[in-house]
Amino acid sequence: MFGWEYPPMNLGGLGVACRGIVRGLTGNGVKITLVLPSSGAQENGVEIISTDNPLIKTFRVKSMMSPYDNMKDYALRATSNPRKFAQMYGSDLQDAVEWFSDSGLELAKKADPDVIHCHDWMTYPAGMLASKYCKKPLVAHIHATEMDRTNFQPDQWIYDTELGGFRSADSIIAVSNYTKDILVSHYGIPSDKIKVVHNGSDGIKHNPIKAGPIERKNPLVLFLGRLTIQKGPAQFLEMAAKVNEIDPKVMFIIAGDGNMTGELMTKACELGLSRNVIFAGRVSSSEAHHLYSHADCFVMSSLSEPFGLVALEAVEHGVPVILTKQSGASEVVNHAFKIDYWDTEKMADCVLTILKDKRLSKQLKSRAFKDIRHLTWENQAAKIKSIYENLIYSMKSSD
Amino acid sequence: MNNPSPPSVCFYFQVHQPYRLRDMRITDIGRGKPNYFDCEKNEEIFRKVARKCYLPANKLMKELLMSYPDFSVSYSLSGIFIEQCKKYGTDVLESFVELAKTGKAEFLAETYYHSLSSLKSIEEFCEQVSLHAEEINNIFGQTPKVFRNTELIYSNELAQIARLMGFKGILAEGADSILKGRSPNNPFAVPEFTMPKQITRIIETKRPLSKEADDITVLLKNYKLSDDVAFRFSDKSWIGFPLTAETFTDWLMEGGGRNVNLFMDYETFGEHQWEDTGIFEFLRSLPAVWKSLGISALTPSEVIEKWKEERDVFDSHSVISWADTERDLSAWQENLIQRSSLDDLYSLESAIKETGNGELIELWRLLQISDHFYYMCTKYFSDGDVHKYFNPYESPYEAYRRYSHALHDIKERLNSFRPSQCQDNL
Repeated sequence: MFGWEYPPMNLGGLGVACRGIVRGLTGNGVKITLVLPSSGAQENGVEIISTDNPLIKTFRVKSMMSPYDNMKDYALRATSNPRKFAQMYGSDLQDAVEWFSDSGLELAKKADPDVIHCHDWMTYPAGMLASKYCKKPLVAHIHATEMDRTNFQPDQWIYDTELGGFRSADSIIAVSNYTKDILVSHYGIPSDKIKVVHNGSDGIKHNPIKAGPIERKNPLVLFLGRLTIQKGPAQFLEMAAKVNEIDPKVMFIIAGDGNMTGELMTKACELGLSRNVIFAGRVSSSEAHHLYSHADCFVMSSLSEPFGLVALEAVEHGVPVILTKQSGASEVVNHAFKIDYWDTEKMADCVLTILKDKRLSKQLKSRAFKDIRHLTWENQAAKIKSIYENLIYSMKSSD
Repeated sequence: MNNPSPPSVCFYFQVHQPYRLRDMRITDIGRGKPNYFDCEKNEEIFRKVARKCYLPANKLMKELLMSYPDFSVSYSLSGIFIEQCKKYGTDVLESFVELAKTGKAEFLAETYYHSLSSLKSIEEFCEQVSLHAEEINNIFGQTPKVFRNTELIYSNELAQIARLMGFKGILAEGADSILKGRSPNNPFAVPEFTMPKQITRIIETKRPLSKEADDITVLLKNYKLSDDVAFRFSDKSWIGFPLTAETFTDWLMEGGGRNVNLFMDYETFGEHQWEDTGIFEFLRSLPAVWKSLGISALTPSEVIEKWKEERDVFDSHSVISWADTERDLSAWQENLIQRSSLDDLYSLESAIKETGNGELIELWRLLQISDHFYYMCTKYFSDGDVHKYFNPYESPYEAYRRYSHALHDIKERLNSFRPSQCQDNL
């Protein structure tokens, strides 16, 4: 499996999902050789010995790739690193992807897998090479498309790399029907090649940080996600301004980091929200947990969200959620308000309705929690395992 | 088949359209904008259903009533439906009047606002039934003799209340849990019991008919046969598909009993089952098949008159309805937001009535339409079933959001009516 590491800081859902899938699969008895790009790797392609799960073998490939890179972000990081490093592991993103693929192939040769599974476009070329060499079926998992990340203004090379992966794959796993529809309509992939396996969640793992001694009087509305166009932080701010007009007591926390941070801070001031909006920056899992435990309402305002694990996390913490319809999470969380990302006025109305109505809030909390109870990683991984089994079976029967 | 006398059939059609709420916002609350309802959408839906169902179905029904002497039908038109006829379709109302003129269409009583008032306030319930009976009398020139509650909500107590109101018959769901293996195809008696004095007193002062009835008969919906037409008719995966009048009549005869009650939404014809499913042709061919076999279609009043004696007792301690597979109140009271909305609404009753303001009382009553609560039901979220099909809003929470804003608004209006010195905890 060509995947991603679980990041120390909450950098997004991809690492979380990969970890969940790997654990869920081993829970279903699947043996995994894991190949991960890692800037922290000491040496290239050396097995990381881990004692906690005998079914997993992990190899790190030295790389500066990060799950949500685009050309510009990568180039910026490459130039800020020692020149020698960049020359070796890719001075631009194309080189980096190529380097990862070549290293991955060497590891795949040794592993002799039954199925090759890769996660999002940067690992697709590695998966394609390995699949071709080993003559084993390729599963392309899609957690987010270039369309989602760029509000449907894709970088052509990234789009083409994704498309190559989808076409070469024997089976595609999409994290939602929403994403499946994007693959069909924007990439022209036949729908019968795409299986939907929603993301899972393993419940609250962290030790709760004790709430501060001061009793909070003001209602709190939370945003948690990268501050990029995809996540709709600007829409969140517009909503905040509308709520503020009606109820100036309401506080908003924007947790996350990204290329829109500066712009959003300016906008918050322009909207007269400097006292009501707190930018929390990138938060760790335990900080996120802390924020969820204090929030009265969670808003996922994404413009295009393949899944949206944060929505599940909020539900697990007993926070009523408002989701945009343009999200995969809205397919699994029934007990929530669902709005269009552009309708910030209605978003504001939903926030105010939840904040003023304890009975509604109570029902949303308790019923949404039931919605996602069955979505454990082990259950979801069992679906992935059966996709593997079908592929292995059909490959054998066509031999 | 060696059944010497085939059962008769009793057709009853519910005719109702709710007022759907408009997309209210918190900022609208207390601004004195009178309209909670999406008039445009209500008119649009009314005209659509009129075109697909009411007009063609009434035309066909009139033809059948004129052609077959042994064919009669019954309807219950909610007051809200009649209001919408007056606003959006006098042609529809006229076509119902035409049916009444044949003398072979019985119009039943119900709550004017198609409400759940029977569960919440005996006083309000009586007033709404009286309002409705009066309206039916005005339009069709007949005083209803048989009562049917909103969505066939029924209990022993309700049957007695209906008797005390003056009705000689009441409709109910043929719920298996109460029939316990007995056939629904017989008229039933209701258990005797004495109502508390305070309730009988309210009924006496507010009842729609001049005096109480000595006796009341309950007619039970044969839900299997009714739903074969209403729900399964166009279902290609159903073993009975395609259903013909002959096959349907065979099933009807096989069930035996004295009288088979086929109760359904009138919108079955042309709206739930579209014209191209052949539903109108099916309906058209029934009376001819029945005539050849000596089956007559009677009105509820005729059935009750005919089988006054020899009735078994239908003992429904719990409240039943014709909604969903549960056939209970869960379609309107399953979750917290439904129950609290309903409680909040009825808690305003005395204060609203004390204002004596007609407009305010009317608004409060419009918020009683049972559909508002039905749309908030989350029972079958994942299955995307009948609730979703009938829901004009995107989700139960959207239904609640709009309703809750309207409810808050009416509270504000009520407060503005009250002299400041006696404002209480509202």
